[in-house]
Amino acid sequence: MSDAPALEVAGVSKRFGIRDALRDVDLVVPPGRVHGLLGPNGAGKTTLMRILLGLVSRDAGSVQLLGQPLERAGQSIPHRVAGSVEMPSFYPYLSGRRNLEILARLDGIWSARPLARGRIEDALAQVGLEAAADARVATYSAGMRQRLGLAAALLRSPRLLLLDEPTSALDPAGARRVRALARRLADNGVAVVVSSHDMAEVEELCRTVTILDHGAVIFSDTVDELRARAPAGVHELHTSDDSAAIAMGLRQPGLRVRPAHGGGLEVVANPDALDAYVIALGRAGVAVRALGSRTASLESLFLDLTGRAVA
Amino acid sequence: MWSVVGVECLKLRAQFKARLVLGVCLVGPFAFAVAMQLQSSMPSDTLFGRAVKESGFALSLVVLGFAALWAFPLLTSVVAGDLFSGEDRYGTWKMVLTRSCSRAEVFAGKTAAAVGFSCLASLLLAASSVAAGLMIIGGGPLIDLSGVLLPSDQALYRVSLAWASILPPVLAVTAMSVLLSVVSRSSVVGVGIPVVLALLMQLAALLDGPEPLRRLLITSGFVAWHGLLAQPPFYGSLVHSATVSAVCFGGCLAIAYWQLRQRDIGG
Repeated sequence: MSDAPALEVAGVSKRFGIRDALRDVDLVVPPGRVHGLLGPNGAGKTTLMRILLGLVSRDAGSVQLLGQPLERAGQSIPHRVAGSVEMPSFYPYLSGRRNLEILARLDGIWSARPLARGRIEDALAQVGLEAAADARVATYSAGMRQRLGLAAALLRSPRLLLLDEPTSALDPAGARRVRALARRLADNGVAVVVSSHDMAEVEELCRTVTILDHGAVIFSDTVDELRARAPAGVHELHTSDDSAAIAMGLRQPGLRVRPAHGGGLEVVANPDALDAYVIALGRAGVAVRALGSRTASLESLFLDLTGRAVA
Repeated sequence: MWSVVGVECLKLRAQFKARLVLGVCLVGPFAFAVAMQLQSSMPSDTLFGRAVKESGFALSLVVLGFAALWAFPLLTSVVAGDLFSGEDRYGTWKMVLTRSCSRAEVFAGKTAAAVGFSCLASLLLAASSVAAGLMIIGGGPLIDLSGVLLPSDQALYRVSLAWASILPPVLAVTAMSVLLSVVSRSSVVGVGIPVVLALLMQLAALLDGPEPLRRLLITSGFVAWHGLLAQPPFYGSLVHSATVSAVCFGGCLAIAYWQLRQRDIGG
Protein backbone atom coordinates (compact mmCIF):
# COMPACT_ATOMS: atom_id res chain seq x y z
CA MET A 1 0.00 0.00 0.00
CA SER A 2 1.33 3.43 -0.95
CA ASP A 3 2.01 5.91 1.86
CA ALA A 4 1.02 8.87 -0.31
CA PRO A 5 -2.15 10.50 0.96
CA ALA A 6 -5.34 9.51 -0.81
CA LEU A 7 -6.72 12.96 -0.13
CA GLU A 8 -4.72 16.10 0.42
CA VAL A 9 -6.46 19.44 0.92
CA ALA A 10 -4.33 22.52 1.58
CA GLY A 11 -5.56 26.03 2.37
CA VAL A 12 -8.95 25.64 0.74
CA SER A 13 -11.22 28.66 1.09
CA LYS A 14 -14.63 29.38 -0.32
CA ARG A 15 -16.82 32.43 -0.02
CA PHE A 16 -20.52 32.71 -0.85
CA GLY A 17 -21.30 36.41 -1.12
CA ILE A 18 -20.17 37.98 2.15
CA ARG A 19 -20.08 34.67 4.04
CA ASP A 20 -16.95 32.57 4.41
CA ALA A 21 -18.09 29.00 3.85
CA LEU A 22 -14.56 27.60 4.25
CA ARG A 23 -11.46 29.29 5.61
CA ASP A 24 -8.03 27.89 4.94
CA VAL A 25 -9.03 24.25 5.39
CA ASP A 26 -6.32 21.59 5.48
CA LEU A 27 -7.07 17.89 5.45
CA VAL A 28 -4.94 14.83 4.81
CA VAL A 29 -6.35 11.30 4.68
CA PRO A 30 -4.06 8.34 4.03
CA PRO A 31 -5.17 5.13 2.30
CA GLY A 32 -6.97 2.57 4.46
CA ARG A 33 -8.39 5.14 6.86
CA VAL A 34 -11.98 6.06 7.72
CA HIS A 35 -11.91 9.77 8.51
CA GLY A 36 -14.83 11.58 10.08
CA LEU A 37 -15.89 15.08 9.16
CA LEU A 38 -17.92 16.78 11.84
CA GLY A 39 -19.41 20.18 12.36
CA PRO A 40 -22.54 22.06 13.29
CA ASN A 41 -25.05 23.19 10.67
CA GLY A 42 -23.39 25.59 8.26
CA ALA A 43 -19.89 24.62 9.37
CA GLY A 44 -18.87 23.90 5.76
CA LYS A 45 -18.84 20.09 5.68
CA THR A 46 -21.05 19.74 2.62
CA THR A 47 -19.34 22.63 0.85
CA LEU A 48 -16.01 20.88 1.38
CA MET A 49 -17.46 17.62 0.02
CA ARG A 50 -18.81 19.47 -3.01
CA ILE A 51 -15.42 21.02 -3.66
CA LEU A 52 -13.71 17.64 -3.37
CA LEU A 53 -16.14 16.17 -5.90
CA GLY A 54 -15.69 19.04 -8.35
CA LEU A 55 -19.21 20.39 -7.98
CA VAL A 56 -18.26 23.71 -6.46
CA SER A 57 -15.28 25.90 -7.29
CA ARG A 58 -12.90 26.99 -4.56
CA ASP A 59 -11.53 30.49 -4.17
CA ALA A 60 -8.13 29.41 -2.88
CA GLY A 61 -6.09 26.37 -1.97
CA SER A 62 -5.31 23.07 -3.59
CA VAL A 63 -6.89 19.63 -3.70
CA GLN A 64 -5.17 16.39 -4.60
CA LEU A 65 -7.27 13.27 -5.10
CA LEU A 66 -5.23 10.07 -5.25
CA GLY A 67 -2.19 12.17 -6.06
CA GLN A 68 -3.89 13.97 -8.96
CA PRO A 69 -4.59 17.68 -8.66
CA LEU A 70 -8.17 18.84 -8.99
CA GLU A 71 -7.48 22.05 -10.86
CA ARG A 72 -11.01 23.44 -10.98
CA ALA A 73 -14.64 22.53 -10.61
CA GLY A 74 -16.07 20.97 -13.75
CA GLN A 75 -13.15 18.83 -14.77
CA SER A 76 -13.78 15.09 -14.55
CA ILE A 77 -12.78 13.69 -11.18
CA PRO A 78 -10.06 11.04 -11.28
CA HIS A 79 -10.94 7.40 -11.83
CA ARG A 80 -11.43 5.49 -8.58
CA VAL A 81 -12.57 8.57 -6.70
CA ALA A 82 -16.25 8.34 -5.85
CA GLY A 83 -18.75 9.85 -3.52
CA SER A 84 -22.13 11.32 -2.94
CA VAL A 85 -23.36 14.59 -1.49
CA GLU A 86 -26.48 14.80 0.66
CA MET A 87 -29.39 12.59 -0.41
CA PRO A 88 -28.51 10.90 -3.73
CA SER A 89 -30.87 11.64 -6.60
CA PHE A 90 -31.63 9.47 -9.63
CA TYR A 91 -33.88 9.48 -12.68
CA PRO A 92 -37.20 8.42 -11.13
CA TYR A 93 -38.65 7.04 -14.37
CA LEU A 94 -35.83 4.50 -14.72
CA SER A 95 -35.10 1.43 -12.61
CA GLY A 96 -32.27 1.34 -10.11
CA ARG A 97 -30.32 -1.00 -12.37
CA ARG A 98 -30.87 1.23 -15.43
CA ASN A 99 -29.66 4.25 -13.42
CA LEU A 100 -26.48 2.38 -12.59
CA GLU A 101 -26.10 1.44 -16.27
CA ILE A 102 -26.24 5.15 -17.10
CA LEU A 103 -23.51 5.87 -14.57
CA ALA A 104 -21.41 3.01 -15.94
CA ARG A 105 -21.70 4.63 -19.37
CA LEU A 106 -20.61 8.00 -17.96
CA ASP A 107 -17.69 6.26 -16.26
CA GLY A 108 -16.65 4.79 -19.59
CA ILE A 109 -16.84 1.20 -18.43
CA TRP A 110 -19.98 0.28 -20.38
CA SER A 111 -17.95 -0.60 -23.48
CA ALA A 112 -16.81 -3.70 -21.58
CA ARG A 113 -20.37 -4.77 -20.86
CA PRO A 114 -19.80 -8.07 -19.05
CA LEU A 115 -17.40 -6.29 -16.69
CA ALA A 116 -19.80 -3.37 -16.20
CA ARG A 117 -22.77 -5.65 -15.61
CA GLY A 118 -20.71 -7.64 -13.12
CA ARG A 119 -19.81 -4.46 -11.25
CA ILE A 120 -23.42 -3.33 -11.20
CA GLU A 121 -24.62 -6.66 -9.78
CA ASP A 122 -21.80 -6.65 -7.24
CA ALA A 123 -22.59 -3.08 -6.15
CA LEU A 124 -26.30 -3.87 -5.83
CA ALA A 125 -25.47 -6.95 -3.74
CA GLN A 126 -23.15 -4.99 -1.45
CA VAL A 127 -25.92 -2.56 -0.54
CA GLY A 128 -28.67 -5.19 -0.47
CA LEU A 129 -30.72 -3.84 -3.38
CA GLU A 130 -30.73 -6.86 -5.71
CA ALA A 131 -34.42 -7.58 -5.21
CA ALA A 132 -35.52 -4.00 -5.96
CA ALA A 133 -33.04 -3.32 -8.76
CA ASP A 134 -35.63 -3.53 -11.54
CA ALA A 135 -38.22 -1.34 -9.82
CA ARG A 136 -38.46 2.30 -10.88
CA VAL A 137 -36.56 4.64 -8.55
CA ALA A 138 -39.77 6.64 -8.13
CA THR A 139 -41.02 3.76 -5.95
CA TYR A 140 -37.91 3.71 -3.74
CA SER A 141 -37.90 4.86 -0.14
CA ALA A 142 -35.32 7.45 0.99
CA GLY A 143 -33.25 4.66 2.51
CA MET A 144 -33.27 2.68 -0.74
CA ARG A 145 -32.18 5.76 -2.67
CA GLN A 146 -29.37 6.25 -0.20
CA ARG A 147 -28.26 2.65 -0.69
CA LEU A 148 -28.46 3.09 -4.46
CA GLY A 149 -26.25 6.17 -4.05
CA LEU A 150 -23.69 4.04 -2.28
CA ALA A 151 -23.94 1.41 -5.04
CA ALA A 152 -23.33 4.20 -7.58
CA ALA A 153 -20.15 5.13 -5.73
CA LEU A 154 -18.99 1.51 -5.47
CA LEU A 155 -19.39 1.15 -9.23
CA ARG A 156 -16.18 3.16 -9.62
CA SER A 157 -14.19 0.64 -7.54
CA PRO A 158 -13.07 3.57 -5.41
CA ARG A 159 -9.71 4.04 -3.71
CA LEU A 160 -11.06 7.26 -2.23
CA LEU A 161 -14.69 7.35 -1.14
CA LEU A 162 -16.34 10.61 -0.03
CA LEU A 163 -19.66 10.09 1.71
CA ASP A 164 -21.84 12.90 2.96
CA GLU A 165 -24.14 11.63 5.73
CA PRO A 166 -24.36 8.15 4.20
CA THR A 167 -26.68 6.69 6.83
CA SER A 168 -29.01 9.62 7.51
CA ALA A 169 -32.03 7.91 5.91
CA LEU A 170 -31.22 4.32 6.85
CA ASP A 171 -32.78 2.16 9.53
CA PRO A 172 -30.39 0.84 12.21
CA ALA A 173 -29.77 -2.41 10.32
CA GLY A 174 -29.06 -0.53 7.10
CA ALA A 175 -26.75 1.89 8.89
CA ARG A 176 -24.87 -1.02 10.48
CA ARG A 177 -24.46 -2.59 7.06
CA VAL A 178 -23.04 0.62 5.60
CA ARG A 179 -20.64 1.05 8.51
CA ALA A 180 -19.45 -2.53 8.07
CA LEU A 181 -18.97 -1.88 4.37
CA ALA A 182 -16.94 1.28 5.07
CA ARG A 183 -14.72 -0.62 7.49
CA ARG A 184 -14.27 -3.45 4.99
CA LEU A 185 -13.29 -0.99 2.27
CA ALA A 186 -10.81 0.70 4.59
CA ASP A 187 -9.34 -2.69 5.49
CA ASN A 188 -8.73 -3.14 1.76
CA GLY A 189 -6.84 0.13 1.54
CA VAL A 190 -9.64 2.49 0.55
CA ALA A 191 -9.62 5.94 2.14
CA VAL A 192 -13.13 6.79 3.30
CA VAL A 193 -14.18 10.29 4.36
CA VAL A 194 -17.52 10.30 6.16
CA SER A 195 -19.41 13.42 7.02
CA SER A 196 -21.96 12.55 9.64
CA HIS A 197 -24.29 14.10 12.18
CA ASP A 198 -24.28 10.87 14.19
CA MET A 199 -21.58 11.22 16.83
CA ALA A 200 -21.89 7.60 17.90
CA GLU A 201 -21.37 6.56 14.30
CA VAL A 202 -18.22 8.62 13.96
CA GLU A 203 -16.96 7.34 17.29
CA GLU A 204 -17.54 3.75 16.19
CA LEU A 205 -16.35 4.06 12.62
CA CYS A 206 -13.54 6.59 12.42
CA ARG A 207 -9.98 6.54 13.63
CA THR A 208 -9.36 10.16 12.79
CA VAL A 209 -11.68 13.11 12.75
CA THR A 210 -11.77 16.71 11.56
CA ILE A 211 -14.12 19.18 13.19
CA LEU A 212 -15.18 22.24 11.25
CA ASP A 213 -16.79 25.30 12.75
CA HIS A 214 -17.70 28.47 10.86
CA GLY A 215 -15.76 27.12 7.89
CA ALA A 216 -12.50 26.61 9.76
CA VAL A 217 -10.82 23.48 11.09
CA ILE A 218 -10.89 23.60 14.88
CA PHE A 219 -9.66 20.08 15.45
CA SER A 220 -8.04 17.45 13.25
CA ASP A 221 -6.45 14.40 14.80
CA THR A 222 -7.27 10.93 16.08
CA VAL A 223 -10.43 10.20 18.03
CA ASP A 224 -8.19 9.10 20.91
CA GLU A 225 -6.50 12.49 20.92
CA LEU A 226 -9.90 14.15 20.96
CA ARG A 227 -10.87 12.06 23.97
CA ALA A 228 -7.63 13.02 25.70
CA ARG A 229 -8.87 16.59 25.61
CA ALA A 230 -11.90 15.59 27.63
CA PRO A 231 -12.90 18.05 30.32
CA ALA A 232 -12.38 16.71 33.85
CA GLY A 233 -15.34 15.57 35.88
CA VAL A 234 -17.87 14.22 33.43
CA HIS A 235 -20.65 12.36 35.27
CA GLU A 236 -23.65 10.33 34.25
CA LEU A 237 -26.75 11.13 36.25
CA HIS A 238 -30.17 9.49 36.33
CA THR A 239 -32.94 11.24 38.23
CA SER A 240 -36.67 10.93 38.83
CA ASP A 241 -37.25 14.18 36.87
CA ASP A 242 -34.59 15.01 34.26
CA SER A 243 -36.35 18.17 33.08
CA ALA A 244 -36.40 19.64 36.58
CA ALA A 245 -32.78 18.56 37.07
CA ILE A 246 -31.70 20.37 33.90
CA ALA A 247 -33.61 23.49 34.97
CA MET A 248 -31.89 23.41 38.33
CA GLY A 249 -28.53 22.85 36.69
CA LEU A 250 -28.93 26.12 34.80
CA ARG A 251 -29.15 27.93 38.16
CA GLN A 252 -26.23 26.13 39.81
CA PRO A 253 -22.82 27.81 39.43
CA GLY A 254 -19.80 25.85 38.20
CA LEU A 255 -21.50 23.03 36.36
CA ARG A 256 -23.15 22.15 33.07
CA VAL A 257 -26.01 19.69 32.65
CA ARG A 258 -27.36 18.34 29.39
CA PRO A 259 -29.19 15.24 28.15
CA ALA A 260 -26.77 12.38 27.55
CA HIS A 261 -26.64 10.34 24.37
CA GLY A 262 -28.58 7.16 25.20
CA GLY A 263 -30.60 8.54 28.14
CA GLY A 264 -30.04 10.21 31.46
CA LEU A 265 -28.01 13.37 31.96
CA GLU A 266 -24.41 14.32 31.50
CA VAL A 267 -23.04 16.59 34.21
CA VAL A 268 -19.72 18.37 33.84
CA ALA A 269 -18.64 19.69 37.24
CA ASN A 270 -15.88 19.69 39.81
CA PRO A 271 -16.59 17.71 43.02
CA ASP A 272 -17.74 20.70 45.10
CA ALA A 273 -20.16 21.93 42.50
CA LEU A 274 -21.46 18.38 41.99
CA ASP A 275 -22.03 17.93 45.76
CA ALA A 276 -23.98 21.17 45.94
CA TYR A 277 -26.03 20.19 42.91
CA VAL A 278 -26.96 16.75 44.29
CA ILE A 279 -27.98 18.28 47.62
CA ALA A 280 -30.07 20.87 45.83
CA LEU A 281 -31.79 18.15 43.80
CA GLY A 282 -32.69 16.26 47.00
CA ARG A 283 -34.08 19.40 48.62
CA ALA A 284 -36.20 20.06 45.53
CA GLY A 285 -37.68 16.56 45.66
CA VAL A 286 -35.80 15.24 42.61
CA ALA A 287 -34.48 11.79 43.46
CA VAL A 288 -30.99 10.82 42.31
CA ARG A 289 -31.30 7.24 41.06
CA ALA A 290 -27.77 6.74 39.77
CA LEU A 291 -24.59 8.81 39.62
CA GLY A 292 -21.23 7.78 38.24
CA SER A 293 -18.22 9.14 36.43
CA ARG A 294 -17.91 8.40 32.74
CA THR A 295 -15.64 8.87 29.77
CA ALA A 296 -16.52 12.03 27.93
CA SER A 297 -18.54 11.25 24.80
CA LEU A 298 -17.46 12.63 21.49
CA GLU A 299 -20.60 14.71 21.53
CA SER A 300 -19.71 16.42 24.77
CA LEU A 301 -16.20 17.04 23.51
CA PHE A 302 -17.65 18.41 20.31
CA LEU A 303 -19.90 20.73 22.28
CA ASP A 304 -16.95 21.90 24.32
CA LEU A 305 -15.04 22.70 21.14
CA THR A 306 -17.79 24.42 19.21
CA GLY A 307 -20.27 25.45 21.85
CA ARG A 308 -23.01 24.36 19.46
CA ALA A 309 -25.09 21.27 18.79
CA VAL A 310 -23.76 18.91 16.17
CA ALA A 311 -25.67 18.52 12.90
CA MET B 1 -18.89 12.99 -25.27
CA TRP B 2 -20.40 9.97 -27.03
CA SER B 3 -21.07 8.23 -23.75
CA VAL B 4 -23.19 11.25 -22.75
CA VAL B 5 -25.00 11.09 -26.10
CA GLY B 6 -25.70 7.39 -25.46
CA VAL B 7 -27.05 8.19 -21.99
CA GLU B 8 -29.32 10.92 -23.34
CA CYS B 9 -30.65 8.60 -26.06
CA LEU B 10 -31.35 5.97 -23.43
CA LYS B 11 -33.20 8.51 -21.28
CA LEU B 12 -35.17 9.89 -24.24
CA ARG B 13 -36.27 6.40 -25.24
CA ALA B 14 -37.76 6.02 -21.77
CA GLN B 15 -39.60 9.37 -21.87
CA PHE B 16 -43.19 9.56 -23.06
CA LYS B 17 -42.87 13.11 -24.40
CA ALA B 18 -40.05 12.15 -26.77
CA ARG B 19 -42.03 9.20 -28.11
CA LEU B 20 -45.10 11.42 -28.43
CA VAL B 21 -43.24 14.04 -30.47
CA LEU B 22 -41.80 11.43 -32.84
CA GLY B 23 -45.20 9.72 -33.04
CA VAL B 24 -46.91 12.98 -34.01
CA CYS B 25 -44.24 13.64 -36.65
CA LEU B 26 -44.80 10.17 -38.06
CA VAL B 27 -48.60 9.92 -37.94
CA GLY B 28 -49.63 13.60 -38.21
CA PRO B 29 -49.05 13.99 -41.99
CA PHE B 30 -50.96 10.77 -42.73
CA ALA B 31 -53.89 11.96 -40.62
CA PHE B 32 -53.80 15.31 -42.44
CA ALA B 33 -53.68 13.60 -45.85
CA VAL B 34 -56.63 11.37 -44.99
CA ALA B 35 -58.59 14.38 -43.71
CA MET B 36 -57.88 16.25 -46.97
CA GLN B 37 -59.11 13.28 -48.98
CA LEU B 38 -62.30 13.00 -46.97
CA GLN B 39 -63.37 16.66 -46.95
CA SER B 40 -64.47 18.68 -49.94
CA SER B 41 -62.86 22.01 -48.98
CA MET B 42 -59.14 22.71 -49.23
CA PRO B 43 -56.79 24.97 -47.23
CA SER B 44 -56.79 27.40 -50.14
CA ASP B 45 -55.51 30.34 -48.08
CA THR B 46 -52.15 28.63 -47.56
CA LEU B 47 -49.33 28.24 -50.05
CA PHE B 48 -49.93 25.16 -52.22
CA GLY B 49 -53.23 24.60 -50.41
CA ARG B 50 -55.20 24.71 -53.65
CA ALA B 51 -53.12 21.89 -55.10
CA VAL B 52 -53.28 19.67 -52.07
CA LYS B 53 -55.61 17.15 -53.74
CA GLU B 54 -53.72 17.11 -57.02
CA SER B 55 -50.15 16.49 -55.94
CA GLY B 56 -48.73 14.71 -52.92
CA PHE B 57 -45.80 17.13 -53.05
CA ALA B 58 -48.18 20.03 -52.44
CA LEU B 59 -49.46 18.24 -49.36
CA SER B 60 -45.91 17.95 -48.05
CA LEU B 61 -45.37 21.67 -48.60
CA VAL B 62 -48.63 22.55 -46.83
CA VAL B 63 -47.42 20.49 -43.85
CA LEU B 64 -44.09 22.31 -44.06
CA GLY B 65 -45.83 25.69 -44.11
CA PHE B 66 -47.99 24.80 -41.10
CA ALA B 67 -45.06 23.32 -39.14
CA ALA B 68 -42.92 26.36 -39.93
CA LEU B 69 -45.53 28.63 -38.42
CA TRP B 70 -46.49 26.66 -35.35
CA ALA B 71 -44.91 23.27 -34.86
CA PHE B 72 -41.14 23.46 -35.23
CA PRO B 73 -40.48 25.64 -32.16
CA LEU B 74 -42.54 23.27 -30.02
CA LEU B 75 -41.20 20.03 -31.54
CA THR B 76 -37.62 21.10 -30.94
CA SER B 77 -37.89 22.85 -27.59
CA VAL B 78 -39.91 20.13 -25.91
CA VAL B 79 -36.73 18.04 -25.65
CA ALA B 80 -33.97 20.64 -25.94
CA GLY B 81 -35.57 22.86 -23.31
CA ASP B 82 -35.63 20.07 -20.78
CA LEU B 83 -32.30 18.28 -21.29
CA PHE B 84 -30.37 20.48 -18.87
CA SER B 85 -33.13 21.75 -16.57
CA GLY B 86 -34.34 18.15 -16.16
CA GLU B 87 -31.17 17.50 -14.16
CA ASP B 88 -32.12 20.40 -11.87
CA ARG B 89 -35.67 19.11 -11.53
CA TYR B 90 -34.51 15.64 -10.53
CA GLY B 91 -31.47 16.89 -8.58
CA THR B 92 -29.21 14.64 -10.66
CA TRP B 93 -26.45 17.10 -11.56
CA LYS B 94 -24.45 15.96 -8.52
CA MET B 95 -24.68 12.40 -9.84
CA VAL B 96 -23.86 13.18 -13.47
CA LEU B 97 -21.00 15.57 -12.72
CA THR B 98 -19.19 13.31 -10.27
CA ARG B 99 -18.41 10.64 -12.86
CA SER B 100 -15.60 10.40 -15.41
CA CYS B 101 -16.96 13.10 -17.73
CA SER B 102 -16.00 16.76 -17.59
CA ARG B 103 -18.65 19.46 -17.79
CA ALA B 104 -17.46 20.21 -21.32
CA GLU B 105 -18.16 16.61 -22.33
CA VAL B 106 -21.54 16.63 -20.58
CA PHE B 107 -22.48 19.89 -22.30
CA ALA B 108 -21.31 18.67 -25.70
CA GLY B 109 -23.10 15.33 -25.32
CA LYS B 110 -26.38 16.83 -24.19
CA THR B 111 -26.27 19.49 -26.91
CA ALA B 112 -25.53 16.86 -29.54
CA ALA B 113 -28.50 14.85 -28.29
CA ALA B 114 -30.76 17.91 -28.47
CA VAL B 115 -29.55 18.76 -31.98
CA GLY B 116 -29.91 15.12 -33.03
CA PHE B 117 -33.45 14.92 -31.71
CA SER B 118 -34.48 18.17 -33.43
CA CYS B 119 -33.03 16.96 -36.73
CA LEU B 120 -34.66 13.54 -36.32
CA ALA B 121 -38.09 15.06 -35.61
CA SER B 122 -37.77 17.42 -38.59
CA LEU B 123 -36.59 14.71 -40.96
CA LEU B 124 -39.26 12.32 -39.74
CA LEU B 125 -41.92 14.95 -40.37
CA ALA B 126 -40.46 15.60 -43.82
CA ALA B 127 -40.27 11.93 -44.79
CA SER B 128 -43.70 11.21 -43.36
CA SER B 129 -45.33 14.15 -45.17
CA VAL B 130 -43.79 13.16 -48.51
CA ALA B 131 -44.74 9.51 -47.97
CA ALA B 132 -48.28 10.45 -46.92
CA GLY B 133 -48.64 12.71 -49.95
CA LEU B 134 -47.38 10.11 -52.39
CA MET B 135 -49.34 7.22 -50.86
CA ILE B 136 -52.66 8.97 -50.27
CA ILE B 137 -52.76 11.84 -52.81
CA GLY B 138 -50.36 10.52 -55.45
CA GLY B 139 -47.15 11.66 -57.13
CA GLY B 140 -48.64 14.08 -59.65
CA PRO B 141 -46.62 17.06 -60.94
CA LEU B 142 -46.46 20.21 -58.85
CA ILE B 143 -47.23 23.74 -59.99
CA ASP B 144 -44.63 25.99 -58.35
CA LEU B 145 -45.09 29.59 -57.12
CA SER B 146 -44.29 30.97 -60.59
CA GLY B 147 -46.95 28.74 -62.18
CA VAL B 148 -44.45 26.38 -63.77
CA LEU B 149 -45.35 22.69 -63.80
CA LEU B 150 -42.62 20.66 -62.14
CA PRO B 151 -42.42 16.98 -63.10
CA SER B 152 -42.40 14.52 -60.20
CA ASP B 153 -38.64 14.06 -59.98
CA GLN B 154 -38.06 17.85 -60.03
CA ALA B 155 -40.83 18.37 -57.50
CA LEU B 156 -39.36 15.76 -55.14
CA TYR B 157 -35.96 17.44 -55.41
CA ARG B 158 -37.36 20.92 -54.66
CA VAL B 159 -39.54 19.67 -51.81
CA SER B 160 -36.55 17.87 -50.26
CA LEU B 161 -34.49 21.08 -50.50
CA ALA B 162 -37.33 23.05 -48.94
CA TRP B 163 -37.45 20.70 -45.95
CA ALA B 164 -33.65 20.76 -45.63
CA SER B 165 -33.71 24.58 -45.61
CA ILE B 166 -35.59 24.73 -42.31
CA LEU B 167 -32.83 22.88 -40.45
CA PRO B 168 -30.79 26.06 -39.67
CA PRO B 169 -33.67 27.87 -37.92
CA VAL B 170 -34.66 24.61 -36.22
CA LEU B 171 -31.14 24.34 -34.83
CA ALA B 172 -31.22 28.00 -33.79
CA VAL B 173 -34.43 27.41 -31.82
CA THR B 174 -32.83 24.29 -30.33
CA ALA B 175 -29.83 26.31 -29.16
CA MET B 176 -32.12 28.98 -27.74
CA SER B 177 -33.96 26.28 -25.78
CA VAL B 178 -30.67 24.87 -24.51
CA LEU B 179 -29.59 28.33 -23.34
CA LEU B 180 -32.86 29.02 -21.55
CA SER B 181 -32.80 25.55 -20.01
CA VAL B 182 -29.28 26.08 -18.64
CA VAL B 183 -29.79 29.64 -17.45
CA SER B 184 -33.27 29.31 -15.94
CA ARG B 185 -32.84 25.73 -14.63
CA SER B 186 -36.57 25.47 -15.36
CA SER B 187 -38.13 23.16 -17.94
CA VAL B 188 -41.19 25.40 -18.16
CA VAL B 189 -38.97 28.28 -19.26
CA GLY B 190 -36.77 26.08 -21.46
CA VAL B 191 -39.74 24.66 -23.37
CA GLY B 192 -42.26 27.47 -23.15
CA ILE B 193 -40.26 30.64 -23.78
CA PRO B 194 -38.77 29.57 -27.17
CA VAL B 195 -42.30 28.76 -28.38
CA VAL B 196 -43.59 32.13 -27.19
CA LEU B 197 -40.58 33.94 -28.67
CA ALA B 198 -41.06 32.15 -31.99
CA LEU B 199 -44.72 33.15 -32.07
CA LEU B 200 -43.83 36.76 -31.27
CA MET B 201 -41.26 36.73 -34.06
CA GLN B 202 -43.88 35.37 -36.45
CA LEU B 203 -46.21 38.20 -35.44
CA ALA B 204 -43.44 40.76 -35.76
CA ALA B 205 -42.73 39.49 -39.28
CA LEU B 206 -46.34 40.22 -40.22
CA LEU B 207 -46.02 43.85 -39.16
CA ASP B 208 -44.61 46.53 -41.39
CA GLY B 209 -41.35 46.83 -39.53
CA PRO B 210 -37.95 47.79 -40.93
CA GLU B 211 -36.73 45.14 -43.36
CA PRO B 212 -33.25 44.73 -41.76
CA LEU B 213 -34.96 44.02 -38.42
CA ARG B 214 -37.28 41.47 -39.97
CA ARG B 215 -34.32 39.76 -41.55
CA LEU B 216 -32.78 39.31 -38.12
CA LEU B 217 -35.72 37.21 -36.97
CA ILE B 218 -34.87 33.53 -36.72
CA THR B 219 -38.35 32.61 -37.86
CA SER B 220 -37.73 34.28 -41.21
CA GLY B 221 -35.72 31.14 -41.96
CA PHE B 222 -38.87 29.04 -41.66
CA VAL B 223 -40.32 30.66 -44.78
CA ALA B 224 -37.08 31.14 -46.72
CA TRP B 225 -37.85 27.97 -48.69
CA HIS B 226 -40.39 29.90 -50.79
CA GLY B 227 -37.55 31.01 -53.02
CA LEU B 228 -36.80 27.40 -53.93
CA LEU B 229 -40.25 26.99 -55.44
CA ALA B 230 -39.98 29.99 -57.77
CA GLN B 231 -38.64 30.29 -61.31
CA PRO B 232 -35.84 31.12 -61.35
CA PRO B 233 -35.16 30.01 -57.76
CA PHE B 234 -33.68 32.68 -55.48
CA TYR B 235 -31.42 31.85 -52.59
CA GLY B 236 -30.69 35.20 -50.96
CA SER B 237 -33.18 34.80 -48.12
CA LEU B 238 -31.93 31.25 -47.52
CA VAL B 239 -28.34 32.40 -47.18
CA HIS B 240 -29.40 35.26 -44.94
CA SER B 241 -31.52 33.08 -42.67
CA ALA B 242 -28.77 30.45 -42.46
CA THR B 243 -26.34 33.17 -41.36
CA VAL B 244 -28.70 34.55 -38.73
CA SER B 245 -29.42 31.02 -37.49
CA ALA B 246 -25.72 30.16 -37.33
CA VAL B 247 -24.96 33.28 -35.27
CA CYS B 248 -27.87 32.54 -32.94
CA PHE B 249 -26.83 28.88 -32.66
CA GLY B 250 -23.21 29.66 -31.85
CA GLY B 251 -24.00 32.55 -29.53
CA CYS B 252 -26.63 30.71 -27.50
CA LEU B 253 -24.45 27.62 -27.09
CA ALA B 254 -21.39 29.65 -26.12
CA ILE B 255 -23.31 31.50 -23.40
CA ALA B 256 -24.96 28.29 -22.22
CA TYR B 257 -21.61 26.51 -21.92
CA TRP B 258 -20.05 29.42 -20.08
CA GLN B 259 -22.99 29.44 -17.66
CA LEU B 260 -22.77 25.72 -16.98
CA ARG B 261 -19.03 25.83 -16.55
CA GLN B 262 -19.18 28.68 -14.05
CA ARG B 263 -21.98 27.23 -12.04
CA ASP B 264 -21.60 25.86 -8.52
CA ILE B 265 -23.79 22.81 -8.19
CA GLY B 266 -25.76 23.19 -4.99
CA GLY B 267 -28.44 21.10 -3.33
